[in-house]
Amino acid sequence: MSQTPRRSTEAAEKSRRGARSHRITFESRSRAWRRHHEQMAVDSLHRLRQRPLSSLMTMLAIAIAMVLPASLWLALSSAQLLDNNLDDSARMTLYLDPALSESQAMDITDRVRGDSDIASTELITAAAGLESFQQRLGMSDALAMMDDNPLPATILVQPRSRDPDAAQTLTERLGKIEGVTDARLDMAWLERLRELSELGRRVVLAFGVLFALGVLLVVGNTIRLAVESRRQEIEVVTLIGATHAFVRRPFLYVGVWYGLGGGILALLLLTVGRRWLSAPIDMLASGFGSHFSLPGIGLGGSVLLLICSTLLGLVGAWLAVSRHLADISPR
Amino acid sequence: MAMIEFAHVGKRYGGRFEALADLNFSVERGEMVFLTGHSGAGKSSVLRLLMALERPSRGRISVAGHDITNLHVSQIPFYRRQIGVVYQNHQLLYDRSVFDNVALPLIIQGAAPQDARRRVHAALDKIGLLHREKALPIELSGGEQQRIGIARAVVTKPAMLLADEPTGNLDPQLSADIMRLFEDFNRIGTTVLLASHDLALIARLRHRVLKLRDGRLIGDEGAA
Ligand SMILES: Nc1ncnc2c1ncn2[C@@H]1O[C@H](COP(=O)(O)OP(=O)(O)OP(=O)(O)O)[C@@H](O)[C@H]1O
Ligand SMILES: [Mg+2]
Repeated sequence: MSQTPRRSTEAAEKSRRGARSHRITFESRSRAWRRHHEQMAVDSLHRLRQRPLSSLMTMLAIAIAMVLPASLWLALSSAQLLDNNLDDSARMTLYLDPALSESQAMDITDRVRGDSDIASTELITAAAGLESFQQRLGMSDALAMMDDNPLPATILVQPRSRDPDAAQTLTERLGKIEGVTDARLDMAWLERLRELSELGRRVVLAFGVLFALGVLLVVGNTIRLAVESRRQEIEVVTLIGATHAFVRRPFLYVGVWYGLGGGILALLLLTVGRRWLSAPIDMLASGFGSHFSLPGIGLGGSVLLLICSTLLGLVGAWLAVSRHLADISPR
Repeated sequence: MAMIEFAHVGKRYGGRFEALADLNFSVERGEMVFLTGHSGAGKSSVLRLLMALERPSRGRISVAGHDITNLHVSQIPFYRRQIGVVYQNHQLLYDRSVFDNVALPLIIQGAAPQDARRRVHAALDKIGLLHREKALPIELSGGEQQRIGIARAVVTKPAMLLADEPTGNLDPQLSADIMRLFEDFNRIGTTVLLASHDLALIARLRHRVLKLRDGRLIGDEGAA
């Protein structure tokens, strides 16, 4: 019967410990916090793997919503690439009177080259113009049937200054030279291209915002269903003192995985799409004598896209769980 | 200092119906008290107010000297960690093992794993179900599930234990066993408040009884 006294001291000890709640230090608390994060990260990934098809479908929906604005943005930046190339070649074209002889054309070219505002000139005689025209378009037969060369001789002028206003006055001055029927500044359509690319930027922004909302809705709705299916669990852990952060955590990780997975799928789609389009675009570009090719999204772009999709997944999940938590708070 | 204090507490649902009206009582530290009354008398309402699941429409409730009437939403979790609650329908997680269910409050509070294991084992040992720690709750009888619920409520050694019809669906023998468990916890200093309408059982146990009718306190008998 040596049991009895030991029991009573145990009980006394228990009652002493029961009176004050056990202390948990800050250090062990932060370790527990990290541990829970790790557990939830793994656990939520595991949950996604348990339903591979529906997880994949959600990620694909996110991917599609990311691909559309991303490819628009790529298309826009390729247009900018084009306009950067053209920046160097801001130049004028002088159309000469077709009645002039070749030597007269050369005289005018010399005079123009003498101008201090001009960096270089290039004379394209009527014959040379015709020849390159035939080569480019492969229409030699059709043009050969014409008796007269319909093309005028032209002088390509590269100004020293890149200033649009200076180029404009220079063009006007060159247009007044005798023998020059017309002087055109190629800047004009460059300007238009710039306006167009500003428009493009806004379209991309608008689409980006719309599709980001789409991602939020997709993630939010999926998480809402997940919350619904774990309603009892949420209720139980809330009853025994779980904070909102604790309840949210697993769902936030689900959102993060959806976003990240969607982002990776989007990158995959972009790569496949670029491959698929690059063959016809190469052919088209070489037809114009250009080496233009579709730009890839690049490392920076890929990282940016992944960050965006992951953040959208996180925010979508946050909104969905918070709405549920607000519903079950005491009134 | 009283553990639980209700001062002129009223609770209305939907703005009109008065579930509790001008409730005044206090429960001392270390007391064991039964809350009884007909169905719809307001027993569960009292417990829900104590768990901060609902807020009183009128009056003031304090627990261990702290006014809990206007607890901020962010403080409620930390308040709930101070009390252990046992539910008639157990509120267990049926996709987790017995061990995981009992460990849940410790995980929520961020206890270290070894510490948690030791305490879960102690709690399971106390209710006599240590050998079932790997089982799923669904594999246990109703009485065993109720004991798991009790183990989870006491694993953090709360100063106050609340229970709403903890023996609701159990036969008299099992009910008596469960009650003995509550008495054991009370003996080591835990304040216990039990809602029950099993009058025969209550009469046998000779503890203080608070009697409710239509949301009003109509009896306070057998104070220790
Ligand atoms: N959420 C609610 N909305 C509206 N009325 C409610 C709500 N909860 C409880 N009531 C009402 O408040 C009164 C008291 O309910 P309560 O659940 O506290 O009774 P009880 O004593 O626990 O009954 P029982 O023994 O049947 O469990 C009842 O008339 C009930 O209909
Ligand atoms: Mg009830």
